[in-house]
Amino acid sequence: MSESGLREATNISRRSFHQGVSSGILGSALTYLLARDLQASDGPGDRYQDLKPRDPHFDPKAKSVIHLFMNGGPSQMDLFDPKPMLDKHHGESYSDKIAGEVEFIKDAGALMRSPFKFARHGECGAPVSEVMPHLAGLVDDIAFIRSMHTTNLTHEPAVYLIQTGKMGPGRPTVGSWVVYGLGSENQNLPAYVVLDDPLGLPVNGVENWQAGFLPPTFQGTRFRSTGSPILNLKSEIDRPADVLHLEQDLINRLDQIHKHDRPGQPNLEARIASYGLAARMQLAATEALDVSRESVKTQEMYGIGRQPTDSYGRRCLIARRLVERGVRFVQLYINSHIWDTHTSLATELKSACDRTDRPIAALLNDLKQRGLFDTTLVVWGGEFGRLPIAQLPPDKNESKAGRDHNKNAFCTWMAGAGIKGGTTHGTTDELGLKAVENRVSVPDWHATILHLLGLHHDRLFIEQNGLKEKLTGVSEARVVKEILS
Amino acid sequence: MQPSRFVSLLILVVLPLARTMAQSDPGSQDQKSAPLAPSFKTEIQPLLQSKCVRCHGEKSLKADLDLSTFKGIVKGGESGPVIVTGKPDESPLYEKVHKGEMPPAKKDRLSEVQADSLRRWIASGAKSDSDPGDDVNPIAKAPLSQHDVIPIVLRHCTGCHGLRQKEGNLDLRSRASMLRGGKSGAAIVPGKPEASLLIKRIHLGQMPPPARLVEGSVKPVDQAETEILGRWISQGAPEIAIDPDIATNRPDPLVTDKDREFWAFQPPKPVTVPGVRHQERVRNPVDAFVLQKLEAKGLSLAPEAERLVLLRRASFDLTGLPPDPEEVRSFLADTDPNAYAVLIDRLLASPRYGERWCRYWLDLAGYSDSEGKREQDLPRPHAWRYRDYVIRAFNSDKGYDRFLMEQLAGDELADYENAPEITQEIYDNLVATGFLRMAPDATWANITGYAPDRIEVIADEIDILGSAVMGLTLKCARCHTHKFDPIPHRDYYRLVDVFKGAYDEYDWLKPDVRPGLGPVSEDPRGGRLLPFVTTAERRAWEASHAKIQKETDAIRLEIGKQTEVLCAKYREERLAGLPEVLRADLRTMLATTPGKRDAVQKYLATKFEAQLSVDANTLKMLDPAYKKAFEDADAKIRDLESRRSPEPKIQALWDRGEPSPTYIYRRGDFLSPSRLVGPGVPSVLTDGKDTAFEVKPPWPGAKKTGRRLAFARWITRPDHPLTARVAINRIWKHHMGSGIVKTLDNLGKAGSSPSHPDLLDWLAGEFVRSGWSIKAMHRLIMNSATYRQSSAVTPELVSMDPDNALYSRMPLVRLDAEALYDTQLVVAGRLNETRFGPADPVQVQPDGLVTPTGTQAGWRRMIYVRQARKQIPTHMENFDFPQMNPNCVERRDSIVALQALQLMNARMNHELAEEFSRRVRREAGTEAPKQIEQIYLIALNRLPSDEENRIGVEALAKLARHWQLASPGVGHTDPDAASRKAIATYCHAIMNSAGFLYVD
Repeated sequence: MSESGLREATNISRRSFHQGVSSGILGSALTYLLARDLQASDGPGDRYQDLKPRDPHFDPKAKSVIHLFMNGGPSQMDLFDPKPMLDKHHGESYSDKIAGEVEFIKDAGALMRSPFKFARHGECGAPVSEVMPHLAGLVDDIAFIRSMHTTNLTHEPAVYLIQTGKMGPGRPTVGSWVVYGLGSENQNLPAYVVLDDPLGLPVNGVENWQAGFLPPTFQGTRFRSTGSPILNLKSEIDRPADVLHLEQDLINRLDQIHKHDRPGQPNLEARIASYGLAARMQLAATEALDVSRESVKTQEMYGIGRQPTDSYGRRCLIARRLVERGVRFVQLYINSHIWDTHTSLATELKSACDRTDRPIAALLNDLKQRGLFDTTLVVWGGEFGRLPIAQLPPDKNESKAGRDHNKNAFCTWMAGAGIKGGTTHGTTDELGLKAVENRVSVPDWHATILHLLGLHHDRLFIEQNGLKEKLTGVSEARVVKEILS
Repeated sequence: MQPSRFVSLLILVVLPLARTMAQSDPGSQDQKSAPLAPSFKTEIQPLLQSKCVRCHGEKSLKADLDLSTFKGIVKGGESGPVIVTGKPDESPLYEKVHKGEMPPAKKDRLSEVQADSLRRWIASGAKSDSDPGDDVNPIAKAPLSQHDVIPIVLRHCTGCHGLRQKEGNLDLRSRASMLRGGKSGAAIVPGKPEASLLIKRIHLGQMPPPARLVEGSVKPVDQAETEILGRWISQGAPEIAIDPDIATNRPDPLVTDKDREFWAFQPPKPVTVPGVRHQERVRNPVDAFVLQKLEAKGLSLAPEAERLVLLRRASFDLTGLPPDPEEVRSFLADTDPNAYAVLIDRLLASPRYGERWCRYWLDLAGYSDSEGKREQDLPRPHAWRYRDYVIRAFNSDKGYDRFLMEQLAGDELADYENAPEITQEIYDNLVATGFLRMAPDATWANITGYAPDRIEVIADEIDILGSAVMGLTLKCARCHTHKFDPIPHRDYYRLVDVFKGAYDEYDWLKPDVRPGLGPVSEDPRGGRLLPFVTTAERRAWEASHAKIQKETDAIRLEIGKQTEVLCAKYREERLAGLPEVLRADLRTMLATTPGKRDAVQKYLATKFEAQLSVDANTLKMLDPAYKKAFEDADAKIRDLESRRSPEPKIQALWDRGEPSPTYIYRRGDFLSPSRLVGPGVPSVLTDGKDTAFEVKPPWPGAKKTGRRLAFARWITRPDHPLTARVAINRIWKHHMGSGIVKTLDNLGKAGSSPSHPDLLDWLAGEFVRSGWSIKAMHRLIMNSATYRQSSAVTPELVSMDPDNALYSRMPLVRLDAEALYDTQLVVAGRLNETRFGPADPVQVQPDGLVTPTGTQAGWRRMIYVRQARKQIPTHMENFDFPQMNPNCVERRDSIVALQALQLMNARMNHELAEEFSRRVRREAGTEAPKQIEQIYLIALNRLPSDEENRIGVEALAKLARHWQLASPGVGHTDPDAASRKAIATYCHAIMNSAGFLYVD
């Protein structure tokens, strides 16, 4: 075929594409799209697909959540759950009684008292260790849960469990379920934002904010606190602004022609919309992350501009800016293992607190000052706790002792919207080894977070093969009503 | 209010009242409750008989529960005991009734009085008065058998005292071997638990040894377990012959013929091709089935798509890549009416075909180059052989039956251990079993390698098998009888037993840990790799090593000689500096080995040896030329050594011949074993009479159970209800956009019904008749008028067939992650078509961006890029590449802003656009309209319309002007450079356009 013949064939096909153009279809497609806004295509029936704000099941106490994830397993008996019996029995052998619950049995030492002093604080008189002086001033706003327990003493499965309700990869995280259930108040920012530590990803990496079997719209979006906030948010190649705008116009023009030739294809409209959203997100995200817009006083309160609080302080301040802008779920990480104090507990745990205590207290105070404390739930905690016995380094040097993992007891706290401040719920045994009274399981903890957002854990589900998949799975879950206001 | 709640509310309100009335005086409770205890014989048994036994009786053992006899009640069901003596609120039998969950039909529910007598009967001790043989306290005194004890020793003991290891010469797997005992004597003394070493050692806390618990991934024996061991011994350690529960030719009480009537559990039926009104649109029988449904709605097939649309569609469908400009031209020029059919044949013969269709199967298998689950994400360095096997299987059109047979039981197809030569066929058999090694797996580490972790891996494999091959949600039956499909709890564990020879949680092969990776978990008993690569490959590998050895030996010899000569030279020079009289004696001394020297020589040695001896190190300091020669030789040796490839190995699954017994795990909990089962297939998929499942060793003297081979033979039977249907439904889906059954992984009752049941059965029949040829199915479907329809949507189609359930048009589809990536490379002229072999690495940037590492020759197709679970290329994640947990039965197709951001901003896309633009200038010169034409031909596989060409030419001019005007540093004052930049920007825009990403 000659060149002109080829040209003709192509033009004929163009003409044929124009056949069947109908404003009616285009109209209905557009309506459909507007109803879906930012959307993912190809989902069955009545499942939620978009991030439009949705009504909860009942009146919520909280509109948004800031989850301060303390990856590594903070030591409960050195922070919030003092154990005088450990002072009494310090140095006594105990590891034989708990064989099977200790990963590094060869390093297991004797019972070990806390290297830190405790004092009672606030009107409620809650004890807080000396390494958290700033948080100690806020105990009347906080509800401690001392009786948490989990099902595995290894980081990966325990982190999966606390994030997703199951001990393995593949399921949606709490944040995904929340934005699946509630959508978002701000369509120019992701509904579920993750502020990870530039020093490194937590255990399980990006699986900590996966959407699992929920549509990918509901997965967490990482915002970096330095550099470009979202991967590829800015071009990796420097180009003149005019060229960029010309290209954007060109793409839009080509896509409009393409769409015009293919009426009644909602995905094409959605794709064009996604380019628009990408451009808006570029502006909105950059603005939300710009902490230089805050007063010097505020920045100082968070410890920004000095060590060791600068990095975590920035993330706390950004978290406040995000919930202020309607982001539903913000999750903060701190690099991989600062709470995983297998050795040198006395110095390592203190250093972890030095990095986080001031920023977290500032966040709570700032939320209170701005009236956001009534609508924001702040959640603090890790994936498990630590043992009352010492874990010794290979040279058996007791001054460098730490503590090994403990799945049978750990402490978390919540503050803000819907929380009865000054509460302490549950108790551990006299050594802090096991939660004994008012035990709170991970599904209970999940159900409580959902409850505060106006969601019932049994009614927030997605159908999979005739089964209702839920955050709390098949486990019985109980809302911890005792800590609610 | 829901009826069930209403009932339970009533019970809640009424019961406490009844209780208060019956037991008004708590002090006299004992005297009063005794006469109140209902009789089993006269009250409870008749009650159960009328309300429960229809489903939970001997004839229909739902939930494996028989409530018709006292013994059956005591035994409990698949979820465990149904009564807890004295505790009605903890007894499922009362709980279910009390909550209004049982009986399921509202009209059958128990009255409040009836429910209360059940409660009181359990509260008063659940005693039987019907048969003197029935024990008063049945649960505590029930006789035990070896099957109560074996699960306990498997959990805690046999890792060291069992099949593979017999520490202290002790094997605890049976009564006989316990009696035989080990170095310290018999492990048990029947009748005397306190004298039995087994019990003593546990009581003393010596066994299992606390310090070795984690190392052996076992837990201490708990009190309840010790108590059972003790009771069994005190009862005389009775051994009762119990046959494992397998299918027989007696009617199955758990699965009825009525259950088997559901369409998907019946073999595909013969179907006649229907007649249709518009016979002229029928190209092959596929169209008749589709037209029949369309015509019933007053519709017909859409017009045939334009030829270039068909070319682009078929190319992407079969090869995952677009046609190149030459193909576009020659296809348009080809006036042969058969040209399209020839095109399909040509595409099917392309080696790119297997690379495309391999991916669909890898999604189903859950392919990954790493183990996952743990932070280390342990690599699977040999997994690529399985990927290559799948590509070759598709390219050679291996029959789907054989394909499954090899993947499910390749190790039982031929005796690889005693084969004189490992042929390609034997190699393929073993590599294929890698299918069953794809689940995420952290059992290589002790702390994540406990029995439940292992069971999780087995469960994932069964899930993969169910969702990928069988189209059944088998995993639902792991904890209880399937809620929707007639798959009893028992059938799941029969399947578990099929795999037990290779997947045994109590005889576990761990993933291989490479030195330096992960904690101390390397399994001394060997992991999951087999050395049986083809003899040809092994010889080539050995030869390459021998060649390297030879070359390094030669270099060492040569430098050794030089060293020797120079050493002698320097020694002589030093000797020359010593008095003449000493020289001869010193030479003799140096030539004598230290041990043989006489006193004088020893004296001389202490005085002079240090000063006289010259070795390579001293030479290097003395002689610069030698130093260089030595270092050159050393570098050459190191370079040669670095070329040694690791020993070729296969990641495989194989039967080890001596599986542990399989028990049904109540509620899926390995701590609650119940009935012993044998191997078998889901009863509902058999006719219930002929078990169709005959297990025998695969060859005489084989140390293999042959169970998976029997399973593979069963699943590839031509009349299997599901195998062909599930496969053809997926092939259809990949061509037509949606399956005939929309739920690809579930053809069961909770799945969707087939939109075209006759078409599905007809295709399934054709598939089997073609010898399970997948390529024949592509030909059949792609040559149909149905496939050749246009994708244009009209108002009529929107109103009559809104979801395209009738296939009234072709869907408009977006390229998936791989097709998009590969196409970006091919249009840029940077696709390296080297096939097969170890996966290409990825780069991970500090900000988390993951990109494939290219080479001088460009980048290979995505199928050859490493897919470590925690380092998936960012492009893939953005475009819906799934997480394999454990596999992906259907990919999503999302439209999110991150995709736009990536296509617009990622460095690699800009670089590829520049390469694309250079290619355009090479092929089309510098004239703008020609350039635009070439860009359309390459990227969109057609020529631009006049309007598109005009827009393009204008855009190039504008872009060039802006590049030229731009600020120094990024702009280009040179007009030619600016115009080059302009084409690159235009190419980048095309690679971002919908026309590039979507296929009509």
